[in-house]
Amino acid sequence: MRTTLASVGAVVTALAVMGIAWAHGPTRQKVRESIEINAPPAKVWAVIGNFQDMSWLPPVTKTEGDKGNAIEATRRLTLADGATVDEELYKFDADKMTYSYRITAVDVKVLPITNDSSTLTVTPSADGKGSSLEWAGAFYRGFPNNDPPPELSDEAAVKAVSGLYRAGLDALKKKIESGS
Amino acid sequence: MRALVLAALVASIGAAMTGRGWAEEAFVTNQLSNNLTVVDLATARPVATIAIDGKPAGVAVTPDGRFAYVTSPDAKALTVVDAVARRVIGRIDVGGGPLGVAVAPDGAAVYVADWYAAAVRVIDPKVQRVIADIAVGASPSGLAVTSDGRLLLSADRDADSVSVIDTATRERRATIKVGTRPFGVTIDAEGRRAYTANVGSNDVSVIDIAEAREIGRVKTGLRPYAVALAQGRGFVTDQYDGTVTVFDLLTLAPVKRINVGDYPEGIAATADGRQIIVANWESNSISVIDAVELKVTGEIKVGDGPRAFGAFLRR
Repeated sequence: MRTTLASVGAVVTALAVMGIAWAHGPTRQKVRESIEINAPPAKVWAVIGNFQDMSWLPPVTKTEGDKGNAIEATRRLTLADGATVDEELYKFDADKMTYSYRITAVDVKVLPITNDSSTLTVTPSADGKGSSLEWAGAFYRGFPNNDPPPELSDEAAVKAVSGLYRAGLDALKKKIESGS
Repeated sequence: MRALVLAALVASIGAAMTGRGWAEEAFVTNQLSNNLTVVDLATARPVATIAIDGKPAGVAVTPDGRFAYVTSPDAKALTVVDAVARRVIGRIDVGGGPLGVAVAPDGAAVYVADWYAAAVRVIDPKVQRVIADIAVGASPSGLAVTSDGRLLLSADRDADSVSVIDTATRERRATIKVGTRPFGVTIDAEGRRAYTANVGSNDVSVIDIAEAREIGRVKTGLRPYAVALAQGRGFVTDQYDGTVTVFDLLTLAPVKRINVGDYPEGIAATADGRQIIVANWESNSISVIDAVELKVTGEIKVGDGPRAFGAFLRR
């Protein structure tokens, strides 16, 4: 574990020198996770529809930002361990109960991805009684060059995002269905 | 020799004017499912799936319609596909991170951009190997050759510029500053202007090739990927908006924004200029746009993560 962290640290230093904001690998990855929630879509939207409140995502302890739900609104998520994630809203449609945002800054030690964009969408479930909530993401692996170390590979990126989305959706279902 | 060339030229012009021997087809690289879908555009149906490993991304079909060259950045290879027999007939190790690809009009040279090396590899398809390297700017992505074959343009993404390369000497003769992070580059039929989709500044740069300078800028949607030309208009895929921005090539004024699938990427015009074909990376489909009416007329399912980056139509 110590070795892994050390090598990630070395990579991160290298990335910082190269300028990680734009550099990325050659293959964009996609993740799409969804969950059925036993509550009307409006109720689900009421919980997730505020870009300035991501308290429903387990590791997030604080959301601070500007411009509410306007396009180009920004937010900074602070996680339980003190790490931060900066995000920007680029699509928001309350009628269709969907919005899209992108990560503008995150350390690959926190989330091993770059150039992420994500979309949350609430739709009525097939039986018309509840809701279906989908979280879709498009991103590149954490390592922008050829032959990535395992912890910054395409597979590691997909696994991390998939795990994050699942954790978020499961927590939301629990929160909404328990009425809290 | 000259008579032969002339005869071939006349024959090819004849084929172009009287209708080709085949229906127009799209060769769509599906990066996440590691294959290529061949779509018959007349019937709007997939007619073949060809396995290609290494996350295929770039594609260029030869002007005579015989071959398709496909880049696989993860396999560091260029795959040669027999477009008629629909099978892989060769695989060339090019090293680095091959992404953009373009073919000379006579089919005698294939150019591959190395995403990691600030270089374009020149491949001789006859001997199936790299025969020369051309130094360009950082992270070359899109490539395009003028119709007379004399110039190769490379969109050097992380240099915010376009390299103009003399294909005879294989040397860069000019560098043109454009918008931020140019990705796809497209040259008009006359070889006069080129258009880059600038992912970082959300616009298209219009280049006068002879003057080697940017002469205009067109606002697009978010994260534009590539440009197609037809009916006196430019068509630009806006990845984050799920739209195609249409603008007038003369006035550079916006005309319309058309909704397509999610994360549209590769885009190309059919030979008659009546249709625009768009690969939707997230939706796993291609959209067909009527280039005159400016509306979507069809959507065809392909593999996972279609990119179709390059001249992906067999016309």
